[in-house]
Amino acid sequence: MSEPSVIEQPKAEIRTSPKKGPRGQVTVFANWCKGCGICVAFCPTGVLALDDDDHPVVVYPEKCTACHWCDTHCPDLAIIVKKIEI
Amino acid sequence: MTVKLMQGNEAVGWGAIAAGCKFYAGYPITPSTEIAEMLSRELPKVGGKFIQMEDEIASLAACIGASVGGLKSLTATSGPGFSLMQEHIGYAAMTEIPVVIVDVQRLGPSTGQPTSASQGDVMQTRWGTHGDHPMIVLCPVSVSQSFDLTVKAFNYSEKYRTPVILLLDEVIGHMREKIELPEFESVEHVERIATDVPPEWYKPYGDSLSDVPPMANFGEGYRYHITGLFHDVLGYPTTRLDEIDPWIQRVHRKIERNLNDITLVEEDLSESDKTVVVTYGASARSALHAVKLARQRRTKVGMVTLLTIWPFAEAEISRVARIAKRIIVPEMNLGQLALEVERVAGRNKVVRVNRANGEMVTPQMILEAIEDR
Amino acid sequence: MPTQFEHTEYMYLRSTKKFPNVWCAGCGIGIVMGALIRAIDRIGLEKDDVALVSGIGCTGRMPVYMDFNTIHTTHGRALAFATGLKIAKPKMKVIAIMGDGDAMAIGGNHFIHAARRNIGIAAIVVNNAIYGMTGGQYSPTTPVGAKATTAPYGNIEPPMPICELAKAAGATYVARSTVYHAVELDRFIEQAIRKNGFSLVEAVSYCPTTYGRMNKLGTTVDMMRLLKEDSISMTAAEKLSPEEREKKIVRGVLHDVEKPEYTQLYEQLIQRVQQAQPANPVKT
Repeated sequence: MSEPSVIEQPKAEIRTSPKKGPRGQVTVFANWCKGCGICVAFCPTGVLALDDDDHPVVVYPEKCTACHWCDTHCPDLAIIVKKIEI
Repeated sequence: MTVKLMQGNEAVGWGAIAAGCKFYAGYPITPSTEIAEMLSRELPKVGGKFIQMEDEIASLAACIGASVGGLKSLTATSGPGFSLMQEHIGYAAMTEIPVVIVDVQRLGPSTGQPTSASQGDVMQTRWGTHGDHPMIVLCPVSVSQSFDLTVKAFNYSEKYRTPVILLLDEVIGHMREKIELPEFESVEHVERIATDVPPEWYKPYGDSLSDVPPMANFGEGYRYHITGLFHDVLGYPTTRLDEIDPWIQRVHRKIERNLNDITLVEEDLSESDKTVVVTYGASARSALHAVKLARQRRTKVGMVTLLTIWPFAEAEISRVARIAKRIIVPEMNLGQLALEVERVAGRNKVVRVNRANGEMVTPQMILEAIEDR
Repeated sequence: MPTQFEHTEYMYLRSTKKFPNVWCAGCGIGIVMGALIRAIDRIGLEKDDVALVSGIGCTGRMPVYMDFNTIHTTHGRALAFATGLKIAKPKMKVIAIMGDGDAMAIGGNHFIHAARRNIGIAAIVVNNAIYGMTGGQYSPTTPVGAKATTAPYGNIEPPMPICELAKAAGATYVARSTVYHAVELDRFIEQAIRKNGFSLVEAVSYCPTTYGRMNKLGTTVDMMRLLKEDSISMTAAEKLSPEEREKKIVRGVLHDVEKPEYTQLYEQLIQRVQQAQPANPVKT
């Protein structure tokens, strides 16, 4: 039995900007992730990048628009996006 | 109690209904088709469900699926269809799902002779499916026993969470005899053991004092996993030896420790019988006549009829072998149960009387063997 | 971490099962599993009312991870087991989960008969055009010319059209999507489960480890892109010529009609029989 372990993510910075849209908080579960790279490659705003072990890390949390592409396409359910109320 | 003139196959159908069978899935094949036809007519009357599946493989699969859904299920077939069902017989044994399979034997191998009798599937009922597994196989000798043993088959199946094979042959299946049908309410029903723990605690293959884990039906509040892969107590696939070994031991033990209950034998012998006929199924009818004739001629001979052919009645046959000098085994095959008798009693004691061409072993053939001619 | 575990998918996973799941990195089967859970959650089904019946192969390994009534059966026979279960428990939602080899090769016969009967089972066929579990042999849906371990010179057999076969046999809902289009996929799965009849969703995926590698499709990310490029919506497909359409994976709801469902027809039969003649076997 294994529960997903959580990587501490930097808190999403909410910056006032002309564009007001949904925002999301991304969490990656490292011990469920197999490093397929799909989330990183297809994130439309470039929130994620691969680290040295080919696992995703959240690099630009503020860019997440809660589109949910990553968490609907992760084969391992190793990444989730929670919509943040602004 | 009603007295009726009935065909063996029909008696199997009534036995199923009396035992609480509520699902039949099958494929027509001579000489078993009457069972399907009868149940297609009678099951809806008692709220049961009948379906003719696209082949025998699907038939047994549907029966197992219905059993998981809580319905006592039956399928009936003959040699060629029985060969097709082997994978799912193994699946039911591995997953410990109750189901009853009727094989009305006909002459084989292959398409053989559909309207002729044989007892050629005896070894196949024991070992037809791959891997090591126990099996319960019952074999009636009359129309009345066809009813009774069908009920017993369901009861063993539920009690021990195992597939049970009811082995008829074309003679028993198609003959008509008098039968005293009991009131169905008085027929003994055994239900699968229900679990009494809350769902989070339920282990579908967990330890139990009787070696038979309680079985929850799907859709009734207990969610678990069933697989034909080797599995742990939760039903999840495993490759660990410390989970595989206990399963093997438990599943064989659950049958072996209950041989008293499962091994049905009819004995008609005394301490002084040096010649004993050991038989089953339609051959037992010829043997009965032969023994009667022999005794009329003052020959001392005993008779043992095996109603349970698997597990093999080792204890009973060992006992017979201690008294008897000759054990005669008539069979409508080239010697299948005889192999077991020889194993237990010693080859030099066993006299085989065989016929594998679709005709019955005659009383005359058995009488000649008894009188050592 | 309470907040994470409120996330939908985790509420349906078996907490006693070992994760991460057994599939290779980037395998589309995991994506189908997520889509299935989202669909079931949206419909609002009780877990006790859902049964997952699977066959043998990588796709067949899906049900064990989810907290429903799950049964992993024999190769090709999931629909036969599902038929018996559905007849015994007609109110349950029975979902059959199969791969392309399981459903179209050994299971072909059971597939067409389940569709013919229009029995209320939702069939999900994950089509990765290969036998993945056994190491990459060609399957009935492998494209002509593709390489496989048992087609070292290229496959010469034309692929089986899963959706057309289902429709011709009598299925009342037929849809196809890909694991790239995961959100569309979960919508189709939802419709398939809601359907009262035999419904089929073909989920086109790729096997990065066997098919993808032997046919030099690149990384898992490349294969995802290929699914996007090689597929086309139904409306767009109509504008293509038949030759061009053949090369594309057409996505959409291809068939959606109403027909009487098998278990309901049998219930009606029981009513008719019991009204005509009460069960009194011994006296007849």
